[in-house]
Amino acid sequence: MTAQIELENVQKHYGTFHALKDIDLSIPKGQFVALVGPSGCGKSTLLRSIAGLERISSGTLSIEGTVVNDMPPRKRDLAMVFQSYALYPHMSVRDNLTYALRLKGVSKADRAKAAQEVAGVIGLQDLLDRKPKELSGGQRQRVAMGRAIIREPKAFLFDEPLSNLDAALRVRMRKEVRALHDRIGATSVYVTHDQIEAMTMADHVVVLQAGVIEQQGAPMALYERPANRFVAGFIGSPAMNFVPGVVTETGRGVRLDMPGAPEIATEIDAAPGRAVDVGLRPEHLAIGASHGTSFPVQVAAVEQTGSSCYLFTEGAPELLVTTDGTSALRAGAAIDLSIAPGQVHLFDPETGLSLRD
Amino acid sequence: MRRALQSMRDGIGFDTMLVILALSYLFVFAGLPLIYNVVISFQTVDVFSLGTLLHPSAGAENYENIFDDRQAGTVLWNTIIFTLGSVAIQFTLGFALALFFHQNFTGATWIRGLFLAAWVMPGLVVGVLWNWLLSGDFGVINHVLESLGIIDQPVFWRSNPDTSLYSVMIANIWYGTPFNMILLAVGLSAIPEDLYEAAELDGANAFQRFWTITLPMMRATIGAVLALGVIFTLQQFDLFAAITQGGPAGSSTVAQYWSWELSFREFDFGRGAVISVLMIVVVLFVSLFYVRSTKAETQL
Ligand SMILES: Nc1ncnc2c1ncn2[C@@H]1O[C@H](COP(=O)(O)OP(=O)(O)O)[C@@H](O)[C@H]1O
Ligand SMILES: [Mg+2]
Repeated sequence: MTAQIELENVQKHYGTFHALKDIDLSIPKGQFVALVGPSGCGKSTLLRSIAGLERISSGTLSIEGTVVNDMPPRKRDLAMVFQSYALYPHMSVRDNLTYALRLKGVSKADRAKAAQEVAGVIGLQDLLDRKPKELSGGQRQRVAMGRAIIREPKAFLFDEPLSNLDAALRVRMRKEVRALHDRIGATSVYVTHDQIEAMTMADHVVVLQAGVIEQQGAPMALYERPANRFVAGFIGSPAMNFVPGVVTETGRGVRLDMPGAPEIATEIDAAPGRAVDVGLRPEHLAIGASHGTSFPVQVAAVEQTGSSCYLFTEGAPELLVTTDGTSALRAGAAIDLSIAPGQVHLFDPETGLSLRD
Repeated sequence: MRRALQSMRDGIGFDTMLVILALSYLFVFAGLPLIYNVVISFQTVDVFSLGTLLHPSAGAENYENIFDDRQAGTVLWNTIIFTLGSVAIQFTLGFALALFFHQNFTGATWIRGLFLAAWVMPGLVVGVLWNWLLSGDFGVINHVLESLGIIDQPVFWRSNPDTSLYSVMIANIWYGTPFNMILLAVGLSAIPEDLYEAAELDGANAFQRFWTITLPMMRATIGAVLALGVIFTLQQFDLFAAITQGGPAGSSTVAQYWSWELSFREFDFGRGAVISVLMIVVVLFVSLFYVRSTKAETQL
């Protein structure tokens, strides 16, 4: 696969504020890449830099092998879907869709045909004559997508396109956007603060924090082998539990800094006696002694959603355990928790880096 | 009584009261004088009968006199040139300045504020200022034009019948441009930045963005600014009084100045009122246009 969009050592400064630090990112043609991270981490800045709406301070940005650092956005042949949709309020849906074609000098008849076609793809055939203000949020979102598709650009850039929709529609559009991507086969760069969106939609997830790429890779790789504590806590829902601990004499287990100082087995080699942060995913903690090494805890609170059950344990640090289905457990109950050795994560308490490998 | 009070507090009583207050204000201070003005235009009114409420009827005589007046043609033509010229140039300059300051370079806000200073000056002060700038012997304008080699002898702007109207027009343009700039700047800043970004990604260059985004999005503002510009220019009196007094030989007399001359120089209030009535009709049409523009704005 050839790289469609390539960033090498890209920096972005706003005055003294260093918004993007040493960004290296290579996006192959046809890939769906998600940029994910907490609010203010620089996702939009990165996307807008690719689009050309922000000028990068240093480094190189190339599209299809051409360095585009100084190329204005209108020459980059990229389409963007804005969080606000940025539909032209004074134009009908049809004119919104065909605006780019009109600028290119495409004839009116061809434009009308293209609008019909794209309206079919996004399901807006009946709304072509409406103005944006006469559309619902979901319909506006579709127009914004249609406006991007009609141009057949080199790549699609999305900046949190679903964040203004209600939860149910968001879940549906998630699938639709991905299906559209597969159908068109163009490269997509998708910004979101929602790690579930990133995990479910993307081929390649880039986790950003404070302008730095913390880790990038396939969604399940990030979930199974987070490179550091930040990624471990950010990817996965509900978030991973962290417990301080010490590596045991064998180097193949950790003693948790909890009441009773329970010991659990790991598969990670670490220096005996070393202080570590132990990461335990709520869905990997099992009730009962099913994995051999188990430790007793007391239930502090139980939340049930019907499909799953959230148990919070007594004492510090508080642990969250999720189980499928319903549970008869009540606050105050004493239970045993266990976890498979392969599902225990260890991090350096100072650097936050994973001790795996 | 209690129910009335209650409706005052909670219901539509309070709103109704506000509307009644506003309407009565309008009626007393705008409606009555307007009606009285129309009435007077059909009467013979001079200094002696001015104090009485009722005057002898003049039929349509005042109107006939005005239309037959030698000056009428010149005044009409002057008014059209002065109004359209002032509004067109004020608007163009104001728009250009608004676009310029919209770039938001350092100091843009401060310089924009300075423009406002010009706008808050009283008309008579502006008139005196331009009297001085335009003066034939020691005026700054002549000096500049001469040193640039554009003219070789001083032009007597205010006393030359060919230029007298334009000397007031220049002053009026200078006076009205900041107003245009401010209103248009407000309109510009109301256009969301992301529309420009979307257009840019869609392939629009700066000129295309102006034509396809800025202008159509500003339609309501532009309509309102033009309508207000016409109305304010038709009201301009101070500058004429300060710079040319309508002269020489009536060469710079416009409708509003003529109306004042008839009423307060010749003390023929009937004919003075005729001109105001005619101007009111024009202003009514312009106001309709203004209302339509602002309505489009609220709908956008
Ligand atoms: N034009 C700007 N000037 C200065 N700082 C900016 C500008 N745009 C963004 N920033 C800062 O850069 C950081 C990243 O912003 P952004 O990329 O919008 O974050 P997000 O990940 O939420 O999209 C934020 O701290 C923001 O305050
Ligand atoms: Mg953002």
